Amino acid sequence: MSIMRIKGIDRGEPITIQVDGKEITAFAGESIAAAMMASGLRTTQMTKQGGSPRGYFCGMGACFDCIATVDGVDNVRTCNTPVHPGCEVETG
Amino acid sequence: MNAKATLKQTEIAIVGAGPAGVSAAITAAQAGAKVTLIDENANPGGQYFKQPTLDQPTQLPGNLGTNADKGAELISGLEHPGIELLTNTMVWGISEEDHHLKLYGRGESESLKADRIIFASGAYERLMPFQGWTLPGVMTAGGAQLMMKSQGILPGQKFLVAGTGPLLQLAAVQLLEAGGEVEAILELQSKKEFLLNATKLWGQWDKLGQGLANQKKLKASGVPIKYRHVITRALGDREVEGAVSSKIDSRGRICPRSEDVYELDTICISYGFLPATELPTIAGCEQFYDPAFGTYATKTNSDLETTVEGLFAIGECRGIGGVSVALIEGQLAGLIAAQQLGYDADQDETALRKQHSKARKSIENLGRLFSFDPGICDLVPDDVPICRCEGVTAGEVRESIRRGAWQLNHLKPWHRTGMGRCQGRMCGPILQKFIIHEAGLEPSTVEPFTARMPIKPLPMKAVADYTTEGGETTWEDHVGGYGVARTEL
Repeated sequence: MSIMRIKGIDRGEPITIQVDGKEITAFAGESIAAAMMASGLRTTQMTKQGGSPRGYFCGMGACFDCIATVDGVDNVRTCNTPVHPGCEVETG
Repeated sequence: MNAKATLKQTEIAIVGAGPAGVSAAITAAQAGAKVTLIDENANPGGQYFKQPTLDQPTQLPGNLGTNADKGAELISGLEHPGIELLTNTMVWGISEEDHHLKLYGRGESESLKADRIIFASGAYERLMPFQGWTLPGVMTAGGAQLMMKSQGILPGQKFLVAGTGPLLQLAAVQLLEAGGEVEAILELQSKKEFLLNATKLWGQWDKLGQGLANQKKLKASGVPIKYRHVITRALGDREVEGAVSSKIDSRGRICPRSEDVYELDTICISYGFLPATELPTIAGCEQFYDPAFGTYATKTNSDLETTVEGLFAIGECRGIGGVSVALIEGQLAGLIAAQQLGYDADQDETALRKQHSKARKSIENLGRLFSFDPGICDLVPDDVPICRCEGVTAGEVRESIRRGAWQLNHLKPWHRTGMGRCQGRMCGPILQKFIIHEAGLEPSTVEPFTARMPIKPLPMKAVADYTTEGGETTWEDHVGGYGVARTEL
């Protein structure tokens, strides 16, 4: 499934981030969840109990479902954490 | 003992930079007060006036950008020498004794002492679970809106929008304008109920006008609004690949052979809103049951002051009221708090109070547009997790309610519901509906989870940095038994 960036918006120069070792394109100011979604990656974590896949849910930092390991820090909310060049995300 | 948390002082601290908080800050600063406005997000505006976060100036299609533009105009008023704006900063607690706020942002811990505090903490979305609702690709309708409004990203291709209330139709229109396909809107209420409730908004022409315009657009785009329909299942193993809906009868039971199966990738759900009252609750402010929206909210007097002197509550956290109420309450509380500190404002207080009571009164009817019978809990099968964090199922919860757990706090030690990362923000309101329904209780008798600090999970460093005057505060003091502040930096 290809999720898309809405057309007609000037996003500036693309930057690159890594998700589970794979490079994806992002734009400055985007959240990690948004950049992942735009590359078709919707799973941000597998839960510790049960291993159920989770992703972007409430979008406002309340549910903590969209957490991932970002630059080595666990449990980071991807919905409200902006990307930066070379940012490394692990979905575990 | 470390004392890394910087101690700061201000005259008026405002928690939350949504419509209410921003308008309170501007009014108070214009009166001459020194204001500190704090928000967890990168930009002020809150969810309603959400600002695009892209580095470039962002033009969104259709009505997606309308509120952002209106918000930008309001937000420009924050450029005032009397206002300090702290973004990316979470207020994770408040001391019960002297009401200083506990802040964490950008890797720093701060302690903020204010002469007056205004809570403008906004609202969360109310949800109802169904099979597969934890799959990636299921999101709140508000979450889908935010992905479009703040990121300029359409969070899927083919959508189903389900739940109840006018937000569903607005979200569907926005998804269409952003280039998505909407297969259907599933509205829990019957068409008759929905329209009858909408007529209660008689006189609020902007709201009715917007609602009618949305319906017209949906019709023109061929999006069916299926009244008395619910989503029963999200299909897919790793993420959403489809959905199943059913019609329900007037008693809320599934109609046999009424199933529709959809092939789609994204499901947006919303069942209304709930006030975010964690901080005023911890500070000891009395809460009341708001029957219009079926939620607990923070009690205030006509000055918007809570039952604790010096603490104010405005906007959604004193009862769901929408943006127009939030803006007026912001002005009123900003004015009164400044006056209490001896400042004089050039504002017509009498007119403001009149406007306020009118706006609050008319909003009571809005609650009906989101209200629903807790009987729909019966539609949730026993194996569906209600608590997304700890995986507690509907069946486990029903069993405990049968055994006498008639308060959310009773369910907590038995199941750990409310003890995961969301701290009950997602499951609490659902559990409330379950208890009301299964035990046959008056809605007002079932109280929310007890709010505890930190109100959201924090890096352990943030709490460790934190000290109170004249004594040591250990990590365990703050999170004792709560087990959420586990992130290590």
